[in-house]
Amino acid sequence: MPRLPGGFSLPPFGLHQWLALVIVCIALWAVGLFWLGLQAGSSWTQGWRQDIRFHIYLENPDATRMQQLSGKLRAVPGVAAVRIVPLEETRTWLDAWLGGSGALADELLSALPGSIEVTPAAHGGEFIYDDLADVARAFGAGVNRGEAHLVQARSMIARVERLLWFGTLIIALAMIIIISNTLRMTLLARADEVQLMRLLGAGEWFVRMPFLLEGGLLGAGAGGLAWLLLWPPLLAVSSWLEQLDAQVSGFALLLPLLFGGALVGWLGALLATTRMTSENTAPG
Amino acid sequence: MADKGRACGYRSTMIQMNRLMLRYPTGKIALSGMTMNIEKGRFAYLTGESGAGKSSLLRCLYGGVRPSSGQLTVQGLDLRSAGQRQVRKLRRDIGIIFQDHRLLFSRTVFENVALPLRVQGWKPDRLVARAEKVLEFVGLKDRLWSFPEALSGGEQQRVAIARAMSTKPPLILADEPTGNLDIGTARHVMDYLMELNRQGSTVIMATHDLHLLDTHPGDIFRLHAGALEEELHLVSGNGRGAGKRETYVPEI
Repeated sequence: MPRLPGGFSLPPFGLHQWLALVIVCIALWAVGLFWLGLQAGSSWTQGWRQDIRFHIYLENPDATRMQQLSGKLRAVPGVAAVRIVPLEETRTWLDAWLGGSGALADELLSALPGSIEVTPAAHGGEFIYDDLADVARAFGAGVNRGEAHLVQARSMIARVERLLWFGTLIIALAMIIIISNTLRMTLLARADEVQLMRLLGAGEWFVRMPFLLEGGLLGAGAGGLAWLLLWPPLLAVSSWLEQLDAQVSGFALLLPLLFGGALVGWLGALLATTRMTSENTAPG
Repeated sequence: MADKGRACGYRSTMIQMNRLMLRYPTGKIALSGMTMNIEKGRFAYLTGESGAGKSSLLRCLYGGVRPSSGQLTVQGLDLRSAGQRQVRKLRRDIGIIFQDHRLLFSRTVFENVALPLRVQGWKPDRLVARAEKVLEFVGLKDRLWSFPEALSGGEQQRVAIARAMSTKPPLILADEPTGNLDIGTARHVMDYLMELNRQGSTVIMATHDLHLLDTHPGDIFRLHAGALEEELHLVSGNGRGAGKRETYVPEI
């Protein structure tokens, strides 16, 4: 049996500990997987963001109104650049879209509204789409709705992140209770040891410390194991993530899982040993 | 100063109790009006029938249970009014030996013996040397890394003695330490306890084995129904003969 410094043995590691380790590991693995998913989604929409351009269309455009509208749009918070799309550029695009039918393109071009292209800043305002729509409406113009979905996706991911924090908290509480329950069973099995330490004059923290360490190590071990188990699914979807240009780092979760696991383990042990009453002299 | 006191027949008191009463929450009265003093350096036997109050008295002495009324002072600490911290401090100065020895079977002999040292905050690098020394005293130095399971009953009791003496406590309480042992082994255990007493520890031992008194005499406190029935002082302990009242082996 391996010995710790000072000649001491490792505490017994029985079935209860194995079960707690596996359960906490699975919970931490699930949490890690969700956070990796969020990381991927966030990275993916950040990639979109670089290509986001809003298009505002003004029916029956004239140069003055187009200039006024673009000036108002430039003043919207979170807007990086505003450009009036030249007719020639629209014609080229339309020609390409119609497959080289120049005459048809010319005919359609006269019916198309004037187009203004708005580029949002890297960290554009949360309500940029609504602000642009308000400005456009004042001029009788409209915003391309499809492009708004990109902004909505980002806001949805922010909402998912908040939900994930809440879910992580709930799972952490569940893990604390599981570890606490396991250590309580260990405490029962080692009641004689606790009683003996008390009879020898041990203080409250001296008695609790081995269990706090055990809880912390159990949690950290489960966290480390969960981190290792994150790699197979991560590798399985790596080519897909590459296609989406989503940057996901498994290493970023190592320390959160290790220390998060240790923290919930320690808190579980603290909870388990709280009921070890400090009263060690019974009244007569 | 101590020598002077001894020469004058004066010895300071280790345990003082006056009309001590202990009533358990169940209503059972374990001790009723016990009055006795035990001087430092003595070897005292607590005898009496089962239920006489021997074990309850020992529990009171190490603060395992708080007396209901009366006065109890151990090493100068009034146990009726002492706080938890004071009780813990007192326990660190007491070596306790149980009839069932209460060894930790999942721990090595070394870990069992070193436990009181760890409680007292000894540095880890000093523990092995100290554990070896006390185990050498009880003849078990070679079993340092064994588990108690591998030892005989007598050897386990000797490990319990080693654990109790590892911190050199001024007071050793033994609750029927020879109760489960054959006569030969019991006498060996008594030899060790006597030796500890010779080295300066006050030993208080609850026992039924009255035949041990022939070869290992000491002060005898005979209890009956929770009260002191008879007190006999034999030639015993550190500074034998000092302050003795009786010098014969009593017939109990």
